[in-house]
Amino acid sequence: MPLLNEDVKEQVKQQLADLASPVRLVMFTQDFECQYCAETRQLVEEVGELSEQVTVEIYDFVEDKDRADELAVDKIPAVAVIGEEDYGIRFYGIPSGYEFTSLLEAIQTAAAGKPDLSEDTLGALSELSEPVHIQVFVTPTCPYCPQAVVLGHNMAVASPMVRADMVEAQEFPHLANKYQVMGVPRTVINESTHVEGAAPEPMVLDKLREALAAEEE
Amino acid sequence: MDFEPKIAPAEAGGDGGDSAYELVIIGGGPAGLTAAIYAGRARIATHVCAGTLPGGQPANTADVDNFPGFPDGVDGTELAQRFQGQAKRFGAEVVPETVTEVDFSKHPFAIRCNRNTYQAQAVIVATGAAPRRLGIPGEDKFYGRGVSSCATCDGFFYRDKQVVVVGGGDAAIDESLFLTKFAEKVTVIHRRDELRATKIFRERAFANPKIDFVWDSVAEEILGDQTVTGVRVRNVKNGETSMLKTDGIFIYIGMEPKSDLFVDQLELDDNGYIVSNRRQHTNVPGVFVAGDVQDPHYRQVVTAAGTGAIAAMEAERYLGEYPY
Repeated sequence: MPLLNEDVKEQVKQQLADLASPVRLVMFTQDFECQYCAETRQLVEEVGELSEQVTVEIYDFVEDKDRADELAVDKIPAVAVIGEEDYGIRFYGIPSGYEFTSLLEAIQTAAAGKPDLSEDTLGALSELSEPVHIQVFVTPTCPYCPQAVVLGHNMAVASPMVRADMVEAQEFPHLANKYQVMGVPRTVINESTHVEGAAPEPMVLDKLREALAAEEE
Repeated sequence: MDFEPKIAPAEAGGDGGDSAYELVIIGGGPAGLTAAIYAGRARIATHVCAGTLPGGQPANTADVDNFPGFPDGVDGTELAQRFQGQAKRFGAEVVPETVTEVDFSKHPFAIRCNRNTYQAQAVIVATGAAPRRLGIPGEDKFYGRGVSSCATCDGFFYRDKQVVVVGGGDAAIDESLFLTKFAEKVTVIHRRDELRATKIFRERAFANPKIDFVWDSVAEEILGDQTVTGVRVRNVKNGETSMLKTDGIFIYIGMEPKSDLFVDQLELDDNGYIVSNRRQHTNVPGVFVAGDVQDPHYRQVVTAAGTGAIAAMEAERYLGEYPY
């Protein structure tokens, strides 16, 4: 049974109609498929059928370990959204519910290769000299979450130092525990710093600076 | 999989330029989108600054059961998308961007978003309402770490845990029922000795073995170290305070109008609602208002849509009479 109904398919086709360059959805699952691995694979395959510019590659997390390492994929289900280069856009857990929006946005951003951020943010990100890892914890039923995820992914496109993950909290409870996620969205920057809620761009940028300053001490 | 793939536009960018429109609508909920449907259909050049929760409050509601034309109820997000699709069909631009500043002191009006500034001959304010906060110690500190106002977002984190819901209206009881899917126990703290929620919700709540009630009581302080561990409760009748152990607290004590942007621009009432007459005019000619930001009483999808339609028709009349 398809996951995308005809209405949604039509909207996806429209949204992905004029992608500037090809995008690869590189998905990792395994032989004995994890919770939501099968659905995630099906979802990206269905999206791949709706745009000529989008191709889907399926890898086995165990057998294709080298490939996973290369893309720094450390858990499944995982989807790396790769444009002309790998900007560091990742989805861990199924990008469904409201997060389907984030997946479509990520495809469009990767195709454009151009982040949708303010001059201030772009300036600050271009000066980064340390790696930044953004993890945005979400649940699929959270309407505020895509805003935080899309912001993270845009920051990843803006700077080669930044990688940004959507992490679906229900599928990775150990990570939700580790980062004390009790509400979503929660954006964790590197290991120590976090922001609650769909925070505006300047606030997330401040937190990013805070995270880097904390590490220098 | 119990969650369908949903499409909602995320925060928009833009080129940082200026654009002029006949009508700018601030707000992308039922009021703003209905106004956009009417304005678009009247061939008015219309731009909607739809904010960061496209579709407005229905997008945050599991099912809308009482909107006419949907005998089996309708998913809130789907309803919002239908409004939006209809507005776009008639040519309105609907862009998910947040307004940061307005200037209604001179004509044309100026509406500033993160990166774009718009000029408008007429404006409809339909910014809606946001959940009211308790304003007690611990609330800010634990926000996102045990304090929440979105059960559909955060309910999952309370599997087999104990939660408290503060409030006694429809939203409080509806969300309490939703939380019983996850939580071991839901305790409703309500300041009166009976629920304000409608009968259908009351019956369901009283029949649910997971829901307990603490009547005539208010939450006074949220307690914890890293996360919430409890809440201090005061009985308003006898003044006694007690401690209630809990892992999380969901606050549903009503909504407040999102009118901060307009404090020095439009006449507001004592509770922050924008004052309007029966034709949805504000005190500034050319600025109209619709939906929850002007409605302390009803706050229904259908009433928001109704005032949106009126505001758009009045804006059309205004634009027709205004000499350019």
